[in-house]
Amino acid sequence: MGAARRGARGWGAAAMAAMAGGGPRRCRRLEGEAARAVLAAADTLLFDCDGVLWRGEAAVGGAAAALGRLAAAGKRLCYVTNNSSRTRVAYTEKLRRLGFPPAEPRHVFGSAYCAARYLRQALPPGAAAYVLGSPALAAELEAAGVPHLGPGPAALPGPAPADWAQAPLDPAVRAVLVAFDEHFSYAKLCQALRYLLRDGPDCLLVGTNRDNRLPLEGGTAIPGTGCLVKAVETAAQREAFIVGKPNRFMFDCVASEFDIDPARTIMVGDRLDTDILMGNSCGLTTLLTLTGVSTLDEVQGHQQSSCPSRHSLVPDYYVDSIADLLPALGDP
Amino acid sequence: MAGCRRLSGAALREVLGPAQGLLFDCDGVLWAGERAVPGAPELLERLRRSGKAALFVSNNSRRSVAELERRFSRLGFRGVRAEQVFSSALCSALFLRQRLLGGGGSGSGAGRVFVLGGEGLRGEVRDAGLRLAGEGEPLPGAAEPVRAVLVGYDDQFTFAKLAQACGYLRDPQCLLVATDPDPWHPLSDGQRTPGTGSLTAAVETASGRKALVVGKPNTYMFDCIVERFGVDPSRTLMVGDRLETDILFGKNCGLSTILTLTGVSRLEEAQAYMASDSPAAKDLVPNYYVDSIADLIPGLDE
Repeated sequence: MGAARRGARGWGAAAMAAMAGGGPRRCRRLEGEAARAVLAAADTLLFDCDGVLWRGEAAVGGAAAALGRLAAAGKRLCYVTNNSSRTRVAYTEKLRRLGFPPAEPRHVFGSAYCAARYLRQALPPGAAAYVLGSPALAAELEAAGVPHLGPGPAALPGPAPADWAQAPLDPAVRAVLVAFDEHFSYAKLCQALRYLLRDGPDCLLVGTNRDNRLPLEGGTAIPGTGCLVKAVETAAQREAFIVGKPNRFMFDCVASEFDIDPARTIMVGDRLDTDILMGNSCGLTTLLTLTGVSTLDEVQGHQQSSCPSRHSLVPDYYVDSIADLLPALGDP
Repeated sequence: MAGCRRLSGAALREVLGPAQGLLFDCDGVLWAGERAVPGAPELLERLRRSGKAALFVSNNSRRSVAELERRFSRLGFRGVRAEQVFSSALCSALFLRQRLLGGGGSGSGAGRVFVLGGEGLRGEVRDAGLRLAGEGEPLPGAAEPVRAVLVGYDDQFTFAKLAQACGYLRDPQCLLVATDPDPWHPLSDGQRTPGTGSLTAAVETASGRKALVVGKPNTYMFDCIVERFGVDPSRTLMVGDRLETDILFGKNCGLSTILTLTGVSRLEEAQAYMASDSPAAKDLVPNYYVDSIADLIPGLDE
């Protein structure tokens, strides 16, 4: 269609791939002696959550036990999730509720928290963000000291788009932030577009993540934040900066909090185009679990592709479920 | 490649003389908001007196053809009949009728259509003989799956409707159709409002499917025109204000194209496409341009 329409991926998939480097990854099943060796060599494990530890409110069988053994073995466990609809504190409560080893908020890196950190550093002093997002995102922005408006249902000054286009714009807004928003509506999309057009490149366009689907219990899924980001990008005809995986910004947040050695860190995830790509790009060992979104067929497709950037979506290892790590973790 | 030349003087008479008919986009060509472009009603009147056909092809999926006919009249365009007007709402309904009801099939068993759009669009779909999801009594004894999701201009679009659409699209037999690809539309005060294209992008991303787009620059609307009126592309001119839809549509249908500068696209954009190395860009360059369609009047006989 229009020559001005952009491609999908946000921050340079090709650049990410170039950084991923290394020899071709083989996606070997992680078991037996190899599993023992790989786990022994790691100090830190980064876990994606949805599709890895749980689906909705249902924990993946054996996952809590596996993490319990890892913690008992002295491994540092961090949680790196693109899900922008919860605060770090809410994540620690969910981990506790589903039987995982205790975690402090500082171990949790959600895209809401990381987006707040990004805006705190990227916005000029006193500038605010217009936000398409949840109360959790608002709470993270509040905690980070980023002024914001917008979360929740749109406050409409009339029934028609002509009315909405007359609503006053806040002069302090210098960024539009798109996150998971169950109150997303045409009216909010209008407001986002108005801010982006008012200030052009002086208004940042930031998205928490591009996940197109959020898996829930029972094999169902709901539309993900990526859909909302795409709607705003299309209306505004510009590309968003994406904070979440596969962008390395979230890994940088982890590395700024803890002393991380990439060579002794494993990234565990269920999505090739977010978890595995980020892990590979940051020089981590990557482990795919099959309890979520991606399949071995997709891995094979990337392995066999003649396009070199697709090879960076191939993990070092895979398991059917992270419960499969239990034998390698032995009895404490 | 098209030359993007200003159309005036002798060239104007040479181009308009042999033309049997003109296809006009509406928004930004005939009118802007609630104001007719000055001279536009007179141009249509002069075309009629010259024996040249005027047909209207609009990506705007808000209004039914009946509403558009009233709009023409209200803004001072006399004598425009509904049958001359091809909106993306009408053509999407015709497309769905073709695909779901086939050759002369009846309504039962065709399934329902989930429409993301306003009453104008919903009415056209009903008028085409299709049943909308969530409306009317279920047919007795028949399971009525949703066989198509139609994305149009929907100022009541919500996350819940997006999720509902995705539910229907899990069935690979369920079509995903969009009325038009427009990412935004201009408002009269210079602001912009999001278009169908932005909503379609959300549905495509969530469902992993690509939509079939009925509107310009795709050629289905021209097929509808040819079916009803049998126009000869070599004797027909396309007049529009948006390079990425109207001008590309003209190119795709084999029509000579005229860009009018009373709407979305700027002359500099057309010139930039002309200077571009990209082969796709060349198809966005109009043959001619005018400041307003009123500039065409001198090309017609007195």
